Amino acid sequence: MNLLTLLIFIPVLFALVIVLLPSSQRGSFKYITLLATLIQLGISIYIYLNFKTGAASAGINHEEQFQFVHKLPWIALDLGNMGKMQIDYFVGIDGISVTLLVMSALVMAVATLASWEIKSNLKGFFLLFLLLDMAVMGVFCALDFFLFYLFYELMLLPLYFLIGMWGGVRREYAAIKFFLYTLFGSVFMLLVMVGLYLSVNDPATGSHTFNIIQMMNPANYANGSVFSAAAHQTILGMPARTVGFVVLFIAFAIKVPVVPLHTWLPDAHVEAPTPVSIILAGVLLKIGGYGIIRICLGIFPEIASSGAFWIGLIGVVSILYGACNALAQRDLKRLIAYSSVSHMGFVLLGIASQTAEGVSGAMMQMVSHGFLSSMLFFLVGVVYNRVHDRDIYHFRGLGTQMPQYTAFVMVAFFASLGLPGFSAFVAEAFTLAGTFKSPTVNGLLPYWMAVCGSVGILLGAAYLLWTLQRMFFGKVSLKGGEVWKIALTDVNLREKLALIPMAVAALALGLMPSLVFGKINDSVLALIQFLQTK
Amino acid sequence: MHDLLPHIPAQLNDVFGSIPYFMPEIYLTVLFLAVLVADLFVGRRSVEFCKVLACGGLLVVILKDITQLAQVQTASYALFSNMLLLSKASVHIKLIIDVLSFILLLYFTWDDKLKEHIKGLSDLYTITIASVLGLHLMAMAINLLSVYLAIEMVSLASYLMVAYRSETPLSSEAGLKYVLFGAASSAIMLYGISLLYGFSGSLDQLADNSIVQLSKVNEASASVALLLLLIGIGFKLSFVPLHFWVPDVYQGAPTPVTAYLSTVPKIAAFGLLVNILPPFLSDTSWKGVNVGQVLSAVGIITMIAGNFAAVLQSNVKRMLAYSSIGHTGFALMAIVTFSAQGLSALIYYLAVYALANIGALALASYFSNILNAEDVESYKGLGLKYPVASVCFVIILVSLTGIPVTAGFTGKLFVFSAVYSVYQQTQSVWMLALMITGALITVVSLFYYLKIPLYLFLKRTENAEVASEKSYNLLVLVVIISFLLILLGIFPDLLIKHL
Repeated sequence: MNLLTLLIFIPVLFALVIVLLPSSQRGSFKYITLLATLIQLGISIYIYLNFKTGAASAGINHEEQFQFVHKLPWIALDLGNMGKMQIDYFVGIDGISVTLLVMSALVMAVATLASWEIKSNLKGFFLLFLLLDMAVMGVFCALDFFLFYLFYELMLLPLYFLIGMWGGVRREYAAIKFFLYTLFGSVFMLLVMVGLYLSVNDPATGSHTFNIIQMMNPANYANGSVFSAAAHQTILGMPARTVGFVVLFIAFAIKVPVVPLHTWLPDAHVEAPTPVSIILAGVLLKIGGYGIIRICLGIFPEIASSGAFWIGLIGVVSILYGACNALAQRDLKRLIAYSSVSHMGFVLLGIASQTAEGVSGAMMQMVSHGFLSSMLFFLVGVVYNRVHDRDIYHFRGLGTQMPQYTAFVMVAFFASLGLPGFSAFVAEAFTLAGTFKSPTVNGLLPYWMAVCGSVGILLGAAYLLWTLQRMFFGKVSLKGGEVWKIALTDVNLREKLALIPMAVAALALGLMPSLVFGKINDSVLALIQFLQTK
Repeated sequence: MHDLLPHIPAQLNDVFGSIPYFMPEIYLTVLFLAVLVADLFVGRRSVEFCKVLACGGLLVVILKDITQLAQVQTASYALFSNMLLLSKASVHIKLIIDVLSFILLLYFTWDDKLKEHIKGLSDLYTITIASVLGLHLMAMAINLLSVYLAIEMVSLASYLMVAYRSETPLSSEAGLKYVLFGAASSAIMLYGISLLYGFSGSLDQLADNSIVQLSKVNEASASVALLLLLIGIGFKLSFVPLHFWVPDVYQGAPTPVTAYLSTVPKIAAFGLLVNILPPFLSDTSWKGVNVGQVLSAVGIITMIAGNFAAVLQSNVKRMLAYSSIGHTGFALMAIVTFSAQGLSALIYYLAVYALANIGALALASYFSNILNAEDVESYKGLGLKYPVASVCFVIILVSLTGIPVTAGFTGKLFVFSAVYSVYQQTQSVWMLALMITGALITVVSLFYYLKIPLYLFLKRTENAEVASEKSYNLLVLVVIISFLLILLGIFPDLLIKHL
């Protein structure tokens, strides 16, 4: 049995168990889900440990260099004079995916621990949760565009219901907004996907293929096909490949999200229950970044280079705009949602720099933000569960009220604002180093973008420290008075179990960035190489 | 008279030679008579008897279709002196129509409102079998005369079905509207046919010199004649601007009849288009209006109008009526490719759409049996009380929207592929516009399709008590349909490799 296939479909097996159990056993559902996510975590760590590094296993545009590959013929259709359609069940990982897999598996386990707060319709919740888990793992492993798209879209429906059924007051609005935004991006992605597969021929079989890696090789494009680099076709007067890149980029940019396509995110995060916020921030945003690296850069490298300035600009705008918005929020969850927009901007900036440092920094930022944002949302959930309020100005002096909780908050805040010793520092430092290097090495980004990125870090420190001061320092003063004081107990064992791995991971990556860099380095170098030669 | 005598043996031979290729239709005719007579003689239990007879008979017809598949694998046959064309596509369409009609025949008695009809449903079975015969003819017709006869046969049966339960004013209104619009449009079509006949001197548009003759008259008049013919077919397909009867009729008709109207006649009408349009496209002597462009424009407008109008609806049946208009527009996208790939994509798309639409209307019946209401707001909070039906509803609606992993998505993918491959060859702006519209309306359609899950699951209910009586037959049907939709979503080649 292939490990990746096992990793993807384990949640489905456990979901079947939950379906078959009667509702009277509903107390056990969360333990079953936890078991599923822990097994997944175990498998992902095993994969991580056995992941081979070295230039011979860099992946990117070499199919044979991918690891844990599982390839089965799936749909094969004869299209008459249009040749054959070939869709494979094709999963495999390289350095770009492996760290994200481990991160996602850990975040999923933590999200399950956060699901203890869910009290209604447990069967439905955990079924949808496991379905979402499967789709997320599938996206990171899929190397066939059709399979990728299937998993990508499969995430939408469970999320719609998870936000819509277990969310807050404005949950219906938030759920439909999230769904419409993402679908808007992905229907056009479907068009580009169809165009790509009709343009690309598998050199081995001669049939049209959805294989992403084959799509990276310009030699596989049929003569005169829409997306062939040599044919210079146009769509509505614009170069076809530019249109293709932009459409795919917008689809993923909605997921990341970048300004101005981010407006679904604050709503969705704020209305979603804590476990779903954790998955949204921790994992789903990374799918956007991952898609840009794997698909936008991989398939349209020359457009990615010529458009690097704009990608970087969008990144910088996201960093600054997200941070400024975070400064203005009174709702703690909204603040963290906007900080996500700001932090994910660094991913774009790093990708746009197209330097080894920048792309490594972007990858690191994705992993680091996965841990930190999950931790932050979990921490918000802790307070919200106790008093059902998260207005920053309704709390004061939590430091004396909940000392252990405050310690975790401080770890998460300081890690997020880029304190040396934590993962975000390494990530942002590398991203900025790459951006500073870009003007001299490849001339893609101007210096001021790097400067603006640094200002973003400063703003990040401002809103996080200010929040710390407002909520946690000073004398205890709560809006709910004595009732809140009794309700606001310190973190319990389950919450510690969820928070400690996150804090440890953030610290470990800060002290030993090689945990990530060691695995991704060869792939990043291969990607840069690929982008330069195109 | 005498100079025609030498032709008679040849004509007779042609007729006799055609009969072996006409077996499903002969069986249908016999079945029609059998159901009609049975209804007269069996007395009180005639509904069950007619149902069993009709369903059983249709199974035999399906078997005959399948044997016919082997006959047409390599060649097409013109039957009854070029009245009908038996091709691979037409047999596929017939097979799909029969399978869907079989489901619909089962479904008729499961709708409480229709079942309560004082005269019973046995007549309805007779009418349906007759209409299936008409649909078979529609799928094969190539001569303008047979086209008109087939469409009229289906129309007459449809009028009766819509007005079958006419106790309610709404239903009577729907019936009358349908008859009036139907009669007007068939008159227009007949006018178009007579013009075409006058211009070309032949009713057989596939004949070699027919188009040549036609191109000798004024282009504008020939174009008008063709457009008039298209109006008649467009009424059956209900594309914009011939769609205005659809919402009222679909809402007013009994739900199973709506399920019938929104699926099988549409499929047959698409089959008809596939048969009669090629000469106007491929023949270079045709100088009139560009049919491909007309249909593209109509398709784009239909997609937009149908889907945007559906957003505003709150009655489930009315919403599905508008959505079916939208789906017609999408299917038109497949037809304007006029390629073999486009044809199989079209048939796959229509089959999957019809299956999902029947499922959705069966669920409308299911909830209407429980609630006695068809308004989406009355579904509030029912999702958790009827989990199986509600989950199936979600799956079916997701398939109608065209999101993975459902058959609706694979259908959409095949249609897009077919259009794209034509675009790649011709760089036609129309194709691009069709694809972009097709993608955009997916987002719009999500908006209204999701209304139902929204009320089922997301809205919380105030009134806790509803009748717990369930229609298990309908439930089984929708579970099977949902399963099929997911199965075809994962393994589309189970169906499409045969098309």
